[in-house]
Parts: sequence; C-alpha cells; structure tokens
Amino acid sequence: MSKSSFLGADTIALHSGYQPESDHGSRAVPIYQTTSYVFDSVDEASALFNVEQGGHIYSRITNPTVAVLEQRLAAIEGGAGAICTASGMSALFISFFSLCSAGDHIVSAVQIYGSTVTLLKHTLKRFNIDCTFVDINDQKALNAAIQNNTKLVFCESIGNPGLAVSNLPAIAATAHAHGVPLVVDATFATPYLNNPISHGADVVVHSVTKWIGGHGVAVGGVVIDGGNFDWLKSGRFPTLTQPYEPFHGMNFWEEFGPAALAMRIRCESMRDIGAAMTPHNAFLLLQGLETLNLRMQQHMSNTQAMVVWLQQHDAVAWVNHPDIDADAHTKALFPNGAGSMLTFGVKGGRDAGAAFINALQLSSNLANVGDSRTLVLHPGSTTHSRLTEQDLVSAGISADLIRVSVGIETIKDIQADFALGLRAATKVAEAQAAQVGS
Amino acid sequence: MYIQVDNAKTFVATGGKAFDASLPTVVLLHGSGLDHRGWALQARWFAFHGYSVFAPDFPAHSLSEGEALTSIEDMGAWLVRALDAAGVNEVHLVGHSQGFLVVLEAAKILSHRLQSVMAISTGSSIPVNPSLIETAQSNPNLAAQMMLQWGFGHQHQYGASAVPGMQPIGIGQRIMANNPLATDLSACNAYSAGEKRAQELANQGCPSCVILAAQDRMTQRHIGLKLAKDLGTQAQIIDNMGHMLPMEAPKQSLNIMKQFIQSVEN
Repeated sequence: MSKSSFLGADTIALHSGYQPESDHGSRAVPIYQTTSYVFDSVDEASALFNVEQGGHIYSRITNPTVAVLEQRLAAIEGGAGAICTASGMSALFISFFSLCSAGDHIVSAVQIYGSTVTLLKHTLKRFNIDCTFVDINDQKALNAAIQNNTKLVFCESIGNPGLAVSNLPAIAATAHAHGVPLVVDATFATPYLNNPISHGADVVVHSVTKWIGGHGVAVGGVVIDGGNFDWLKSGRFPTLTQPYEPFHGMNFWEEFGPAALAMRIRCESMRDIGAAMTPHNAFLLLQGLETLNLRMQQHMSNTQAMVVWLQQHDAVAWVNHPDIDADAHTKALFPNGAGSMLTFGVKGGRDAGAAFINALQLSSNLANVGDSRTLVLHPGSTTHSRLTEQDLVSAGISADLIRVSVGIETIKDIQADFALGLRAATKVAEAQAAQVGS
Repeated sequence: MYIQVDNAKTFVATGGKAFDASLPTVVLLHGSGLDHRGWALQARWFAFHGYSVFAPDFPAHSLSEGEALTSIEDMGAWLVRALDAAGVNEVHLVGHSQGFLVVLEAAKILSHRLQSVMAISTGSSIPVNPSLIETAQSNPNLAAQMMLQWGFGHQHQYGASAVPGMQPIGIGQRIMANNPLATDLSACNAYSAGEKRAQELANQGCPSCVILAAQDRMTQRHIGLKLAKDLGTQAQIIDNMGHMLPMEAPKQSLNIMKQFIQSVEN
C-alpha cells in the first residue's frame, strides 16, 4: 500500500484510475484519440476553463487515456498527483522550469545522465539558471553548495551510467534543512524497486519509456508531485504561493495544497510548452505498467546472474553493479536489488570493448535502457560523448565502460551472446599484448 | 484571504475572487482533519457566479494559526466571530461531516442572519470509535489512512479522479495527517446537541438540504436520513460514492448545492 492508495502496487498497476466505462464496458483502458472534447453547454465550458469542475478541454493539457497513466503512476509512487509528458527529458525540463526562474540556482548530483547534465549546465544557463554539481552523497559538499537562491536539489536514485546510489534520506534531510525540495529521477530504480517519496523525495521523475513501458515502443515521461513539501513555509516559491495572473490569479498552494506543483505544471507548462504525451503512447505505456512487477522480477534475477557470470570471466577487467559490496544505504533503499543496469570493462580497453559490442548477435547496441531485450552501449562515444573528460571522470565513466541493460531473455542465451562478444574482445586484447611485446 | 480571529491569523478561502461581504455569502465548512481544499471546485463556482465564498481553515488546521478548538460548541461560536471579523451578515451554511455539526451550533447564534443550511455526508451526531481517536493521538498518519480508506467509496479507490491526473486519497492523507485530527474526532464524539438543534431549525422554518452518499461508511445512511427528518427535508442520495463527497463527486454535489442555494435566493 502506498501513501496515496489502499491497493497493493500490483493492483494499482492494473486497476487504478479506470473502471470499465459505461457506454461499451471496455475492460482495457480505451485510447481516447482526440484533440478536444465537446462541452455540454457554454456554462460547462466556462466552468472547465475556470477550474470550477474537473474534466478535459484539450489533449495538450489533459486526455482521459493519459490521465489513467498519470493517476496510476501517482498512486504507485505514493504521490498526490502526476503529469505525463512527451519524454523523460521534457518531464525533467518542466520540473526545473516550474520551480526555477531566471536568477535561480540548482544543486545537482554530478553522477547523472549526459543529456540532463547538458540541460542543467548549458540549456538552463541560457535562461540564467545556474547549477552546481556535487558528489551527491558528500553531505558537506551538498550542504555547502545550497545557496539562498537554490530552488531544488536534484539526483538520480541510481545514476546513469555510473550506477551510484543516492542516499535519498540523507540528501532529503540536508535539502529540507535549507527549505529546498529534493527532485529525484527514479528511472533506473522503477517504482517496483524503490519509491523515493517514502524516503524523503518531494518530486519524482521517470522516463516512462524505460522499464515502466518496457517494450521499447513508446517515449514518455512523468512528473509526480509527492505532496509533502511545504512550499509556503520554505519561502522560496512565489510561483506556487503567490497569485499567478496568467491563470485567473490562482494561488496554487492555497487552492490545491499538496497538489500545488502538479496543478501549476498542468496550468502553465502543459499550456505554454505543451510537451504532452500522446493518447496512443499512454495506452502503450499502460500495457507496460500492468506487467512491470513480473518483468522486474526477471530483470533482477537475470542481472544478478550476469553480475556473477561476468565477475568470473577471464576476459572481463571489472564489473560494476550497486549490489556488489553494497553500502548500508544501498541495501536499505534496494532490498530487492539495485536495478537491472550493470557496467563492465573488458581487458584490452576501449578497442576490445568495441569488438565486444560489434560481435553481439542477440543483444542490441542502441541508445536506450529498460527494454525487455538486453541492450548494450558504449556511453563514452554516444550518450555522454558531449561531456568533457573531467565530466566523464566525475560521472564515473571510464573509456572502456560498457553499459548493459539486462533484459528478460532466457539467461543462458544472454550469457552465450556475451561469450561471443568476450571472445572477440579477447582476440583484440591478445593482439594488443602481442604488439606491446614485439 | 487572511483575517484575524481571536488574535490568530486565520485563512479563509474565497474561491479565487476577492471577498465581497455585500454579496450573498456561501460558507463552506470542512470535516475532521481536513481543510478548505476539499471545496476547491465548488468554491470557485460560487465565487464566479455572484456569491462570496467563505471557506475557513479552522484554528490550527492547514493555513490557519491558533489553538485547535476542542468542542463543536466552541467551533460554532468561533465561526460566528470569524464571520463578524469579515463583516459578513447573512449566510448560507454548508457543512461536510463534522462541518455540519458546526453549522448546527453556529445556526443557534446566527439566528435571523441564517438563510439556509446544507448537510453533506453527515448526521446530527457523529459517534467515533475510541480506538480511532487513540490512533489519531498516537499515530496521525495511520489514523488518516484508516479514515480515508473508510471515507472514500469503492469507485474512488479504483476509478478515475474528478480532476485528471490527481490522486485525492494522497492529497487527503497529506492534509489530514498534519492537522489536529484527534482533537476534531474527540469533539465530534462528545457532541450531543445536534438532534435538538436540527429540530429547532426545522421549527424556525430554516430552508435545509441534505446530501448523502450511498456508500458512506463513516456516517451511515440511516444517520443522515434521521438528520433529514429532523430538519424536515428529504435527503438526496448520490450513488456509488463514499463519505468524501465534496472530493469524490464535486460536480454532482455542486449541482445539488447550487440548485438549492439558488432556490433559496430566488
């Protein structure tokens, strides 16, 4: 049971937010593939626009299919409300955009996804929003980095691709001591493994594209408002606690309290930026959410098997997964395992790593994670290629790092495929050794 | 808006428009542990359709300061002082659950200033299980969860929120767990004058309306039907909904509310 539903997580994933509709009794959530909704009357239209009643006006703002996914994700994470977006990156952008204005400041973990670094370091900088990057588990550094104009602390619960686990309760305590909320990208953790709100997070973001969707067929994101942060007491958030003239002079905190941020995002970001999730994508992602628990069990058992298998392989230089020599906070936050991502390096460095990837037949070399299929990537030359060498080191990315998103195939088939790759890598390593020796 | 009542800063929601005491005033009173946000949608409709809305957070609840009031009688007297502080004369009083017990007590003091009363998911008394009060004292989070689990009807536990993407159980839990729930529940449990007050209102000819929920497990239907009888009115029952009617069925409850108040005004 989460703090916002009395149903178990597996039941929420299947049932919350929708009951068979009255017209046709569709058991599955229907796809409301429509841009707009007929008003019963001028009075009803007026009431909808003025938030005198709930409902749908235009699918950039809300859509019935998308709303089911939103409510399920809010319930499963224990939040007060959720807004689905076109992608995980747009979910991050509207989170930052809704909490910050020009002249504000963000403190972020350094151990995060490359495109999020770019957003925080370069794109938001153009709008005069600065960011300080810190080792997020260094409480002294975090404490020192928070300024009077800091509007949020950001981290990934499991960093991409370094797989550092953020100590959420400690980070939240430090942020809250300054009156600052904690925003957590929980994509790598999934709601199955960890619910950040119950560990002190105030806002949770997912790239729903990944494990929640699971099938690699639709891109989407979500922002979940935890509903626990006192925006008024903080004193840092006039956008939530003062009248907002462009939307009926609404004071979101006074009118909606625990759902103030979600409503602000709905009324401002979805209106003005419009990074809306499509109804069809919401439908596809709902299919994924419904079986997330079952897939995650297989993801985790395969990951645990792959970690052991790689550690024992002669061609492998090193293996990284948060569960290896896990520290206390990792064990506490992830009792069922810290995700199905692992990284490793092959003997022979970058060239051997390239040979490994090129030799794979079953696993796919692509820029995604969390698919049901096993995926591999060399971040240094792809997702994180725009980072400086120093940024790469800070993010825990070595030149030979291979990122693996362990799928749910039969484990012996994944291992057989990796054996092919490691044989190719070994040949490169042996050729390198021969060259050095000659 | 914020007003001073008994030297304490008191928040009163006005539905998104500036309060104008010269307009017909609809007073919306929240239930145990809740606050003005339970009326978010209804308040906006009244405020934008020719009424002034006065939806206070009781002392020590959410945005209001002060000490929590320990009896329904004190809450009724406090409400009248709050209305006086805002310069309000005549009022339509609407109460959800505990809020209607407060209506009954305030009505006695307001006398001729009272235009109508409306009861939503309530009765003339609300007995509370002592174990729930004890839980609210020792573990407010758990008590809030217990009340919301009982409070929301089955459809709302599973089905779509009235406001797309929101999870009202989560919102309610955040509000209730941080407010003086145990004090409110104790006050409800101790209140015994409701039946007499309701009959007095009926004898005075005060217009009244009762809205009940078919799946209310907090104040069961027979309690609400008895209240309607005491008030001399018929109860209107909304199907498939639970005790948290203003949040579960905002549109249906608003439709009844506005029809009733408009009929009294006309």
